[in-house]
Amino acid sequence: MSALLAVRELRVRYPLSEGWVDVVHGVSLDIERGETVAIVGESGSGKTTLAMALCGLAPVSGGEVRFNGQVLRRDANHRLKPDRKRVALMFQDPVGSLSPRMTVRKILAEPLLIHRIDSRDPDQEALRLLSLVGLGVDFANRYPHQLSGGQARRVGVARALALNPELLIADEPTAGLDVSIQGEVLNLLSRLQREMGLGLLIITHNLNVVRHVADQMAIMYLGRFVEQGDSQQIFTHPRHPYTAALLSANPSPDPDAQRHRIQLVGEVPGLLHRPSGCEFHTRCPQARAQCRVSFPELTSGAGKQVFNCFFPMDQVHPC
Amino acid sequence: MNEPVLNIQDLSVSYQTERGPLQALRHVSLAVPEGKIIGIVGESGCGKSTLIASIIRLLAPNARIGTGAINFKGRDLLTLSPEAMRSLRGSGISMVFQDPMTSLNPVLTIGRQMADVQHRSRASRTEKRARALMMLERVGIPDSASQLRRYPHTLSGGMRQRVAIAMALMTEPSLLIADEPTTALDATLEVQIIHCLQQLQREFGCSILFISHHLGVIAELCDEVIVMYAGEVVESGTTREVFLEPRHPYTQKLLECDPARIRHRTRQLPVIEGSLPNLVELPRGCIFRGRCVQSIARCDTERPALSGGQHKSACHLLDTAS
Repeated sequence: MSALLAVRELRVRYPLSEGWVDVVHGVSLDIERGETVAIVGESGSGKTTLAMALCGLAPVSGGEVRFNGQVLRRDANHRLKPDRKRVALMFQDPVGSLSPRMTVRKILAEPLLIHRIDSRDPDQEALRLLSLVGLGVDFANRYPHQLSGGQARRVGVARALALNPELLIADEPTAGLDVSIQGEVLNLLSRLQREMGLGLLIITHNLNVVRHVADQMAIMYLGRFVEQGDSQQIFTHPRHPYTAALLSANPSPDPDAQRHRIQLVGEVPGLLHRPSGCEFHTRCPQARAQCRVSFPELTSGAGKQVFNCFFPMDQVHPC
Repeated sequence: MNEPVLNIQDLSVSYQTERGPLQALRHVSLAVPEGKIIGIVGESGCGKSTLIASIIRLLAPNARIGTGAINFKGRDLLTLSPEAMRSLRGSGISMVFQDPMTSLNPVLTIGRQMADVQHRSRASRTEKRARALMMLERVGIPDSASQLRRYPHTLSGGMRQRVAIAMALMTEPSLLIADEPTTALDATLEVQIIHCLQQLQREFGCSILFISHHLGVIAELCDEVIVMYAGEVVESGTTREVFLEPRHPYTQKLLECDPARIRHRTRQLPVIEGSLPNLVELPRGCIFRGRCVQSIARCDTERPALSGGQHKSACHLLDTAS
C-alpha cells in the first residue's frame, strides 16, 4: 500500500527583484497512516513554508507530492490542491488563527458549512468537537480573546479535526505553552491519532517533544533535510554534525548536568548566500577542504536513517 | 551583605474587571541581589507579566496597586513621579522582550536605533556610533560596521535578539529584565544567547531578572529561582535547591511535567490535573489546594506563608514534616 503522504524533491522558491530565493530546496519524505513525523530546524530553515506548501498555501516550483498514491495537481498559482477535507492544518499562532469576531461554535461549524456537509448538524458537531478535545459546552459561546493559550490551541485542534482528515499538519503545536499544558495538547493529539489513525506531521524546534512523540524525524537546514530517519535512532546515533550539535545544545533542567556541547561557530548563512559545497561547512566544527567544494550525496545509515555528510559522526550520543 | 538592587515587598496588584477585582498578584516579596541572575518560572497566568509591568510601572490602566513597595537602589518605584520613572526606564532598568522582531523598529536601521537609545548622552554622533559598534562586537555580532546600516528584517532571529541585548545594555543599567528572550530560537541559538547573557552579566556586573517557562534554560543560566503560581510566590531558593530538592507540591509537579526530565520515551506525558483558580473569587486557604494531591485539612482554611531560610516555600506540609 502506498504511503499516506509521499513527498519527492519538493521545491518552493520566491522571485526577487533579481533572481530567486529557494526556501524549500528539494525535500523528500513519507508519512504512513497512524505515524508521527517531526520536522526540526531553526527559525528560517523553511519548516513552515514546507507545511504551507503541502497544504496548498504556498506556491510549489518543483517536485511531486502524492496523497494516498494520487499525485496532487497544482492550480494556476502553482499551489498544490490537496483535498482539504483530508488534509488539515493547525497554524502556529493559536489565538491569531481564530477569527476574533466569531464564537467558538461558529469557528468549529464553519468547515462543515464551507464544504456543504449536510449530513451533520453544524451546531451539534461543534459541541461534539469541543468534547473531543476536552472543553465543556460553555466554551461554544466564547470568543477567542476569552480563551487561554492552551484552550485556543484545543479549539485549533478541534477545528482541524472537523472534517475527519487523514493527515494533520501541526505547525509548532506547543510553542508558547507551559509544560503541563504542552503535555495535555500532545496527549490529546496522540489519543486522537490512535482513535482515528491520523498521520501527523509536527513542525517544531522543541527537541524534548520530538523525543517523546515522533516515530520519524527530519532535520532541516537552509531548506534542505540534512538528516532523517527513525527518531530514536537519530537521538542515540546522530550522524550529521548539525544534528549532533542541535541535540547536544538542548538545555537540560538539571543544574548539575555534565554538558558536552558541540560548539557551532558563526552565523546561519542567509538563503541568498548559500555556501558552496556542503551548505553547513561554514559552521561545522569538522569541515575539511572537500566540504567547501562538493555537495555530499545522500548516505544511508542504520535502518531508514539517511544524511548528507562526508565525515559523519560515529560517536554514541549520551541521551 | 550588600543591599539588593531590587527588593519587592508584599506587592499586591489587581485588575478592575466587570466581575470585580481580579487579584493578579498577592503579597509577592522577592529580592534581586547585586550581580546575580534570578529566574522566575511559572505557567501563563501566574502573574509574571504583571510583575514586570509593575516594576517598570507600565501597568494597564485598569490595574490597581493594593499594597507593597518596589525598592530599586534605595528608591520606591511606586512613589516616583512619572517623569522620574520615565528617566529610569532604559537607563537604570532595561528590558529585553520575547520577540525581537516586534521590539525593534522595522523601518529604522540598527545603527539609527542604537543611536536613539543613547538620547540621554551628550556624546557626539561619532562617539555614539563608536559605542554602538563596540556593543555589537561584545554581543558577538561579526562585521559590526556593516550591520549598523542594515534593517532588522535582514538579520537572523539569533542576531536580532543579540542586537536587542546590545541595545538594552548600552546604557549600562543596574537591572536587566529579560522576558522569555529565547522562546523564538532553536536550541543552538538558545544556548548562544544564554552564554552571551552570562558573559555580559559578568563584564557589566548588572543584575538580571530572567523570566522563562523553559526549565532547562533557567537551570543553566540562573543563580536563584523564584517559582510563581496564580499570583503568589510558592517557592524560592538557589537553582540547585529548587531543581534538586523542590519542596512545594506545585514545583514538584512542574518539574515532573517537563518532558526533558523523562528519560524513557513515553506517549503519555504527565500533566497537572485541574486548572488555575479563579482570581476574581479567590478560594480560601492555599492557592494550589484544588490541584494538589497531598493537601490536608489545614490547606482548606489557612493560607500558608512563604517561610524557611534561604530555600523558602509556602506549604503547610513542611510544618508538619519538621
